[in-house]
Amino acid sequence: MIVAEVKPMAEIQDTIKNYSKVLISGCGSCVTVCLSGGAQQVEVLASSLRTAAKSQGQQLEVGEETQLRQCDPMFIEQIRDKAAGYEAILSMGCGAGVQTMAETLGNIPVYPALDTVFFGGADGQGGFVETCAACGQCILSRTGGICPVARCAKSLTDGPCGGAQAGNCEVSKDTRCVWQLIYVRLFRLGQLHLLKETTPPKARRVHPARLNRAE
Amino acid sequence: MKINAMPPCQAKCPIHMDVQGYVAAIAGGDVQEADRVIRRTNPFPSVCGRICTRECESVCRRGKSVDEPVAIRALKRYASDSAAAGAEVPGPEIRFSEKVCIVGAGPAGLTAAHDLALMGYRVTVYESEDEPGGMLTRGIPRYRLPLDLVRSEVDRIRSLGVEIKTGYMLGRDISLQDLQKDFDAVFLGMGSEKSTCPECSGMELSGVWTAVEFLKDVSRGKKFNPGNKVIVIGGGHTAIDAARTCLRLGAEDVTIAYRRTIDEMPAGMDEVEDAREEGIRFEFLTAPEAFEGSGKVEKMRCVRMDLDKSCGGKGKLTCVEDSAFEMEADTIILATGYVPRTEAVQELCTEGGDRLEIKDAAGATRTPGVFAGGDFVSGPTTVVQAIASGRKAAEAVHRYLRGMDQSPEAQEEILQDLDDDVARLVPKAGREKPVCLDSGSRVHSFDEVEHVFTPEQARTEAARCLHCSLGAHVSRDCAVCLNCVLVCPYNVPRPGEEKAYIDMSQCQACGVCAGQCPASAIDLRLEPRTELRQNIRRVLERAESNSQNDFIFGYVCDFSRTRPRELKGENVYTITRPGLGRIDVYELLVPFEAGAREVLVSGCGEEDCKFKDCSLWTRRNVQKAARILESIGIDPERLKIVEG
Repeated sequence: MIVAEVKPMAEIQDTIKNYSKVLISGCGSCVTVCLSGGAQQVEVLASSLRTAAKSQGQQLEVGEETQLRQCDPMFIEQIRDKAAGYEAILSMGCGAGVQTMAETLGNIPVYPALDTVFFGGADGQGGFVETCAACGQCILSRTGGICPVARCAKSLTDGPCGGAQAGNCEVSKDTRCVWQLIYVRLFRLGQLHLLKETTPPKARRVHPARLNRAE
Repeated sequence: MKINAMPPCQAKCPIHMDVQGYVAAIAGGDVQEADRVIRRTNPFPSVCGRICTRECESVCRRGKSVDEPVAIRALKRYASDSAAAGAEVPGPEIRFSEKVCIVGAGPAGLTAAHDLALMGYRVTVYESEDEPGGMLTRGIPRYRLPLDLVRSEVDRIRSLGVEIKTGYMLGRDISLQDLQKDFDAVFLGMGSEKSTCPECSGMELSGVWTAVEFLKDVSRGKKFNPGNKVIVIGGGHTAIDAARTCLRLGAEDVTIAYRRTIDEMPAGMDEVEDAREEGIRFEFLTAPEAFEGSGKVEKMRCVRMDLDKSCGGKGKLTCVEDSAFEMEADTIILATGYVPRTEAVQELCTEGGDRLEIKDAAGATRTPGVFAGGDFVSGPTTVVQAIASGRKAAEAVHRYLRGMDQSPEAQEEILQDLDDDVARLVPKAGREKPVCLDSGSRVHSFDEVEHVFTPEQARTEAARCLHCSLGAHVSRDCAVCLNCVLVCPYNVPRPGEEKAYIDMSQCQACGVCAGQCPASAIDLRLEPRTELRQNIRRVLERAESNSQNDFIFGYVCDFSRTRPRELKGENVYTITRPGLGRIDVYELLVPFEAGAREVLVSGCGEEDCKFKDCSLWTRRNVQKAARILESIGIDPERLKIVEG
């Protein structure tokens, strides 16, 4: 899933400072799961912006809306009429959601209220960790199911770099060296021989990637 | 209150009273509402608040799994004693032309009359005695049920337009045939007051009484001197009532002789305990053989019994050989069973028998338009069973008169027991006990033994309710983030097949998951979001228009006993809520939007809280909201938790 976090309030306020009628639009998918852009966050942000505007003597009308999935134009179509009544949209979707919305609605400016930070999963304790870099050429079969592209500070595919100390990354002391983790996992799996194989260089992907639905 | 599965208290109650509804109203300090909820299904709250056999309490899930059951009966009494008189039930919307006749003004008949009057029928009740109430006025002693309370409940029923004619006995003053001619439907609820006596010699001696006659005479105010030694024979409620009444009439040595053991006694254990406290002795496995004396009874010859419980049921009784013994007695009272008097309705009885032939659960007899119920059909039961029977009969009469099919008995789904893993996480809280007259002084008068709860006791006791089946439910908006699984203090939510799954039978309705659900997909039956939000909006609008930008807004827990001084005074607007764990960040911020100077959150403090971790989550939410306030330039100190 995509993990995002709410932008600093000052930045959001600055983005919409020239508007008096703004629609906040949440997304019911990934950003709801990571507690940053679901229905609950929409009403919190809306109330905060209204309160701030009122305390500064500004006129600001804020509407609220949450789609099931903001990264699909079909869901955006459902709010087209409502959106037309606003000067700007503040999207609480991920970067993909913001763009889909901007593209679909066309003539209404759409601004992000979130910073999309990574692809990852739940850590089981309420937090989320980056686990995938969407590189397009998955090598997890050779690394014991642990991705060095996303989880190594240097994205080394043939690590380790040698800078780790006591199993921790030299870039961030709080982060385990991913190549240490890979070594331990492969040892447990009895697959240490995989480390002797060299990962061929990845062909750099051409952006934007596309995936056509199979016929 | 819409429910999917009945809480056990409600399911077990013969009239399915909305126990949670009135207990919640008491917890919130609204006795009028509690009384209203009670009166929806029960026209005799002050009676049931005192003498109900409280089957509800026997299945209370707090009692079964956590500590002691909620004192439901005492709470009902508190509500009906405290509610202002005049909180009348609204009259019928439609009036029908049909007339209904009720024979017997006991709890079954009067309940049927009450319900039918509310449905819009003209109801006449015939009562053979000179006062309506049946066993309530002439069978239950005053120390358990003061007469004026029964009279006031009967007056309420009269105020619905029910005509009660006393002194009319079926078979003597009126006949069933005449009633069938004059009325469109008839309900027979003449009770079960004919005593069945053991086959003993000496029944004719003076000083030998049947309990019903004895209690009736005492309640009429007849002077009665039972002498010093009294033996009451029997093991039911009436035996206990008769024995305790004798003590109050001056007897010094009162013994209840019962042929089985304490385990088989139909009387409730609390009644047995009360009787013991007052000094009444019990002789179990004892059966009378003869009453002896010259003109007046002087002693009872009896035998010991042997009870073989291995054969199932109530066991098989046999006399123990050579076990005869004698007990001295100035008075002997027989409370050994009662049957209905069916002489006046022989045409409705089984072939050659003296029992009424009843065709269905609603009490239809073999004659169309004639229904019967209460103890008259079932034999002696409890007041709440009689009320239930009256309610069923009213419905059946209505369906008969309107030409509708009789409704089948509804089978309700009942909530399962609490799992041990959940039960051990529920904070324990001891049951409140009403003040009682001490056993020494109470036997000298007919003053009521048990007192009503104080308001503080009532609210504390009501707060013990576990809100069974009023917990969280997940809507289709669930994003399956499983945050609920992580935050639930009782570990109830689980990942389901399509969305998170919260087992209604285990949820404690603390609301923490609802407050933390990012999709706003979890709602609480105890405090539905739509109602809550409307309420918040309404109070804020009032605050905004009355005291613009200069008001304090507070969220107060229903279950906290004290209210901090910060939440008293002018320009303070509050919303009370059943626990604060459910509060979410938006609810903490929105009062500022309306111009609140301060937002205060008042709970009960960690130790007292009935919900596990409620204070923790309240604090976290307040901190989160305070950070947002700071980010928009509002002093975070304007939002705080205050405790009483």
